[in-house]
Amino acid sequence: MLSRVADAVFWMARYMERTDNILRALRTNYIASQDEIQNFDWHLWVEGLGPEGYVSESNPTYREALHHLLLNKENNTSLLINVARARENARSVQDYITKEVWQCINDYYHLIRDPHTEQLLLANDPVTAFDNLLRESTLFYGTVDITMNRGEGYSFLNIGKYIERLLRSLDILELKIKELESGGIEVTQWKYLLYSLSGYEFHTKYYRNVLSTENVFHQVILNAQFPHSALYCLSQVDRYFKRLDAISVPEHFKEMEFLLGKALSNLRYGGHEQKNLEQVKSLVLRTKIEIKDLGHKLASLYFGYS
Amino acid sequence: MSFASLLSEYSTHPNIWDEMCLKGEIRSHYKVFFETLSQISPEDLVKKDELAKKLFMSQGITFTVYSDGEGIEKIFPFDIIPRIITAAEWTQIDSGIKQRIKALNIFLRDIYHDQFIIKDGVIPAGLIHSCPNFLREMVGVDVPFDIYTHISGIDLIRDSDGSFYVLEDNLRTPSGVSYMLENRSMTYRIFPGILPKSNVRSVKDYPDLLLKNLLSLSNRQKSEPTVVLLTPGIYNSAYFEHTTLARLMGIELVEGRDLVVDNAKVYMKTTAGLKQVDVIYRRVDDEFIDPLIFNPNSILGVSGLYYAYRKGNVAIVNAPGNGVADDKAVYPFVPHMIKYYLNEEPILKTVPTYGMDDPEHFQHVFSNISRMVIKKTNESGGYGMLMGHAVTEKEVNQYRKEVEKNPRHFIAQPIISLSSVPCFINNKIQPRHVDLRPFALNGPQGIEIVPGGLTRVALREGSLVVNSSQGGGSKDTWIVG
Repeated sequence: MLSRVADAVFWMARYMERTDNILRALRTNYIASQDEIQNFDWHLWVEGLGPEGYVSESNPTYREALHHLLLNKENNTSLLINVARARENARSVQDYITKEVWQCINDYYHLIRDPHTEQLLLANDPVTAFDNLLRESTLFYGTVDITMNRGEGYSFLNIGKYIERLLRSLDILELKIKELESGGIEVTQWKYLLYSLSGYEFHTKYYRNVLSTENVFHQVILNAQFPHSALYCLSQVDRYFKRLDAISVPEHFKEMEFLLGKALSNLRYGGHEQKNLEQVKSLVLRTKIEIKDLGHKLASLYFGYS
Repeated sequence: MSFASLLSEYSTHPNIWDEMCLKGEIRSHYKVFFETLSQISPEDLVKKDELAKKLFMSQGITFTVYSDGEGIEKIFPFDIIPRIITAAEWTQIDSGIKQRIKALNIFLRDIYHDQFIIKDGVIPAGLIHSCPNFLREMVGVDVPFDIYTHISGIDLIRDSDGSFYVLEDNLRTPSGVSYMLENRSMTYRIFPGILPKSNVRSVKDYPDLLLKNLLSLSNRQKSEPTVVLLTPGIYNSAYFEHTTLARLMGIELVEGRDLVVDNAKVYMKTTAGLKQVDVIYRRVDDEFIDPLIFNPNSILGVSGLYYAYRKGNVAIVNAPGNGVADDKAVYPFVPHMIKYYLNEEPILKTVPTYGMDDPEHFQHVFSNISRMVIKKTNESGGYGMLMGHAVTEKEVNQYRKEVEKNPRHFIAQPIISLSSVPCFINNKIQPRHVDLRPFALNGPQGIEIVPGGLTRVALREGSLVVNSSQGGGSKDTWIVG
């Protein structure tokens, strides 16, 4: 397939995954802020999800924060901008993706720009707005699964999706650690971390005890059955990358395979030593750097950025 | 509101050919449709109109207008009532266009080789050599199967007596065919059951016919030649059409930056390395296809593409240089071409055209300006036109000065009134003026035209300008019987 098309499909998937992950996290934490967590620190979220190094001036109310993170056109990382970018990418490969996938993203775009969505968020029940948007997001996953052929493009799409999910899981983990450090209660923070990653119910079933820091780290980083864990995501990246073997230039394939194998091993075997917050923080940092390098390599070898 | 009141404002003009009504009676080929329509309440018709808009929006059949740094999605206006053409009328259109394309294609071959038509005094040499779209780079170049006009969109209009006139030949990169296809899919969503009942001919074959032609142009002895569609990119207003055609034909949609020329061969950049391209259906104008030969500032094209083309290593569709044949000042000579090359009488009429470089014509046109339209020879999209019946004296004088500066670049024609058809506007059925653009495909096996085309509508009351850039819309076009 065309390098430009592979690139656009990869980024389309990343923007869609990013939007979905952030929506779920915001929905959970918005609900927490309404009920269990008094004095929820939206400031931390606005900065944590903003562009790198972004500093917000005032402490926003929940409605200001939600509007800023979801719909603000001036905010380069808002979900509206994310969806618009996913759509631009989809548009540029409209002939490659299926008509159904294109229409799905296009509908999503029209929904997030709909004044009704803004009205729900600013003056009415924000959870309804979250649910409406998440429904579109879920439709996207289903439509991709049912309609897209399993060729090369599907691999790039999934590589993008799982790279993004891994980074978002780590981001949300970092945010929760920050909240903890600024005086949160451990059990509550871990609970909402797991809710944000749609993993709370799984935790109670799998670990069968009250939330312990050690188990939470295990689930978020190493649990191979948990679809939002770092190890699960990276294994999926590896799995979809290996499918590209037949079409790849052999040297390019080997180079990527090596980097992926190394990152996987570091995570798998390094992850077991993490017992306290500091150790986890440094593992998160290292993994993020490795994933970024991986992304750059992929871009230069497969998408023609040299 | 009853159906009768829906039609109450349908008043036709005696000097205009109305395609639905003849002296207050509904013509027979519109009857079946009108029976169905009369069973639908006006309220439901309004809902159908809204449904059509919603479908266009949700399918992303839109173009983006940028203002204040933000993109606004717009749809090309669509009118829900189909325009109906009889089989007999179509037979005449079909044979008329085929005859015309055949002659124009021979003309292009001739003008870029021996120029017999000039030597025999049928067309003045000055006219051709003053044409900015005559490409010297094409002289002596042999194109595959001697075909230049692979895809053409011929604009037809109907005068007050109902006869068809050719208004323009679009032989470069005519657009609109995706709307012909989409408008049809819209009809079966809006009026379920009506298409089979009305015996409407299908337009679905278009992408298959086009692909068959494109594949046959490959020069390499290869079972699966690589065919690509070259688009200027997502900001082009016809981008939707490019993706639709690429999808329907299953070919790669490429941008200039996806292609590279090496050793006079064209390659596309893929994840598995470079892959040779055999045929390019380009939707980029001549001027932009190769910065080394044409516009050096173009980033839409590919450096070296033209060289690869001349070497015969890649086919380009349509051939570069076709602009010399659809120049508006060359247009009045097309009937002569038909006689000269084919020894036939033209089947379709041509609008009388006055080249403004002739002082007699100039005088005649400006003394009868209220019945004239003046056009620039190399503008399309309804730009740079002066409609003599709707302007002030000051505007005429201004335009006159423009013409005097460079008379070769202007022609004048008497204003043709354009036929009218029923449209659903402001909850009423009202007559509006239309033209018709059928699409002709010219391949090694001959010329084929899918039965249908794009009907463009001037949505403003009384307006004769159908271009989408000037507030025009479109309709589904049925050939029945």
